[in-house]
Amino acid sequence: MDISTIIFYLIAAFILGMALLAVTAKQIFRSAIWLLFTLIGIASLYFWMEVEFIAAVQIVVYVGGIVVLIIFSIFLTQQSAADMPSPKLGRKIAAAVASLLGLALCGLLVYEYGFSKTEATFDNEVSRIGTAMLNTGSDGYALPFEAVSILLLAAMVGAIVIAMKESE
Amino acid sequence: MNLKQYFADIFNGVKSLATGMKVTGGYFLRHHKEKITEQYPDNRDTLVLAERFRGEVVMLHDENNEHACTGCTACELACPNGTIKVITKFDMTPEGKKKKAVDTFIYHLELCTMCNLCVEACPTGAISMANTFEHSVFDRSTLTKQLNKPGSKIRAGVE
Amino acid sequence: MFSLENITQIVHTWLYENMHPTLALMVEFAFIGVLVIALFAFLGLVLVMMERKVSSWMQLRLGPNRIGPWGWFQTVADTVKLIVKEGMTPNNVDKLLFNMAPILVIIVSMVIMAPIMFAKGFQIWDINIGVLFVSAVSSLSIIGILMAGWASNNKYSLLGAMRSGAQIVSYELSAGLSMLTIVVLTGSLKMSDIIQAQETGWWLFKGHIPAIIAFVIFIIAATAETNRAPFDLAEAESELTAGFHTEYSGMKFALFFLAEYVNIFVVCAIGATLFLGGWMPFHVGNWEQFNNIMDYIPTPIWFFGKTFFLIFVIMWFRWTFPRLRIDQLLNLEWKYLLPISIFNILLVTVIALAGWHF
Repeated sequence: MDISTIIFYLIAAFILGMALLAVTAKQIFRSAIWLLFTLIGIASLYFWMEVEFIAAVQIVVYVGGIVVLIIFSIFLTQQSAADMPSPKLGRKIAAAVASLLGLALCGLLVYEYGFSKTEATFDNEVSRIGTAMLNTGSDGYALPFEAVSILLLAAMVGAIVIAMKESE
Repeated sequence: MNLKQYFADIFNGVKSLATGMKVTGGYFLRHHKEKITEQYPDNRDTLVLAERFRGEVVMLHDENNEHACTGCTACELACPNGTIKVITKFDMTPEGKKKKAVDTFIYHLELCTMCNLCVEACPTGAISMANTFEHSVFDRSTLTKQLNKPGSKIRAGVE
Repeated sequence: MFSLENITQIVHTWLYENMHPTLALMVEFAFIGVLVIALFAFLGLVLVMMERKVSSWMQLRLGPNRIGPWGWFQTVADTVKLIVKEGMTPNNVDKLLFNMAPILVIIVSMVIMAPIMFAKGFQIWDINIGVLFVSAVSSLSIIGILMAGWASNNKYSLLGAMRSGAQIVSYELSAGLSMLTIVVLTGSLKMSDIIQAQETGWWLFKGHIPAIIAFVIFIIAATAETNRAPFDLAEAESELTAGFHTEYSGMKFALFFLAEYVNIFVVCAIGATLFLGGWMPFHVGNWEQFNNIMDYIPTPIWFFGKTFFLIFVIMWFRWTFPRLRIDQLLNLEWKYLLPISIFNILLVTVIALAGWHF
């Protein structure tokens, strides 16, 4: 086992442990912090895979954006420091069944198809991502890119309309 | 907000920031020539304090060890926080009359707020404010002072 | 041209010849760790001293003048004091997060050091997304601040943390856009490429007016991102009693303090790399003789000279301008800096496409 594999297992264990803490934490703020560490773990997995651009985007979008917004909304809620009550037994059983079924599904998929290795070299130049994003050709993503832009623009306009004061 | 106003705002903002930075930058460049702070313990010998600075209350004595305090206790009454205590006695005048005079003028420096009311209240100008300021001591009780010097007496002619 | 590349190369080959590759890698990691920690200690001592001296000279005071010649050893004494002081954990705080926050903040400022090029051929990791890496990782430090503010269980700390969060999130936009200006001109995110592109002159001079506008916006946004006056609403001694680190003492406080100064160094190093050419000596176009003379000055001196010049400018801001109100702060970002930088980046794209820059 070489060092790269050891590092992979360390990162994976970190992600799983933090995810487990995120769902079992009693305080909502702590839960958000564990979620943050899970996302950082995923970013470090991307770094391990040498797709640095995706890793940086993961940090910018999830850690710098979404988790900060989550923490802000937690700050604005009442009693964010109070312990959450333990869930009912029925819910606990349902959650356990749901997670077991999810695990079974993943295990089945991996068992059936496994992970295939490709010999193709991995081209992850940032400029290639940029060209593909704005390319209208067959391997371009200009249309989805614009569609997502319009969706975000609609969300932004909606937020402004909600926040706007009524005239008069 | 029209566009002209917008750019005028930016221009004026940058200009005022530059003015401020020019002032501090100028200070930075000539800092070694000009110091506005007193280098206190080093310049103890040459230190000059403003005359109106109030450090503590003193009683003025002349060269014959005479003061102008009649023991009227006007200062004691004027003091807002009981800093002054005047203990009086009765002297015999040559005519054989009893005359009120000061025995001990007690001044609690640790209570004094340097408000100057006692100096203003004094009818004979016997006390005034000195500008000494190094009052720190190791024992609090040494701050209680007797202001009339031992053996001093009232100056002749002061009523 | 003076280069440290040979030294690092010699160490690298020697290690790999004499050791197992994994062990050699570990030794290199340890070596870099020690170097980074040494740099941290150096920066902590020097920058705090520089701040105090600059502030006093701008206010016509002497500054620290008791310990050592002209008080130069004051920060050493302060460090000793902070180390021996008790690091208290108050009773009703969230103890885990309270103790984790300063460590997180300092780790983040250590990680940002990675892509910075200190001299020619002297860099920890020449990652191909250098600039993006810095702006991504630096957004993590806000989490440490929010964590400290919340875990302190104190309303001033919470308010300070929220202010600093709002501030960093909004100023990251204009800082990112002004960094993008140079990326557009260079066509690469890699630090070494950006520096190499400035061989014939720094981008500040080669990039016409857009580069100058971007530089000014970058300096303003960098000041705001490091929570320094006039943007120090998060700390605001007079109204929030130091904000998020009110409850911290001893070495835990010192870590926050150190991280603040290291972050200043990092943003100034990025600014020097993008706009002032990093370690690249001052070159003018094709003046061969002039360029050769400039090459005699070693590259680390160029890098640290430029960086410390920018740090001085940021300190100059701090000791000149009064603190902004929160509405003025957000107005400045959303009504002035952001529209200008968006317009600026369009302009610079046109210039880069048409090849009008030198």
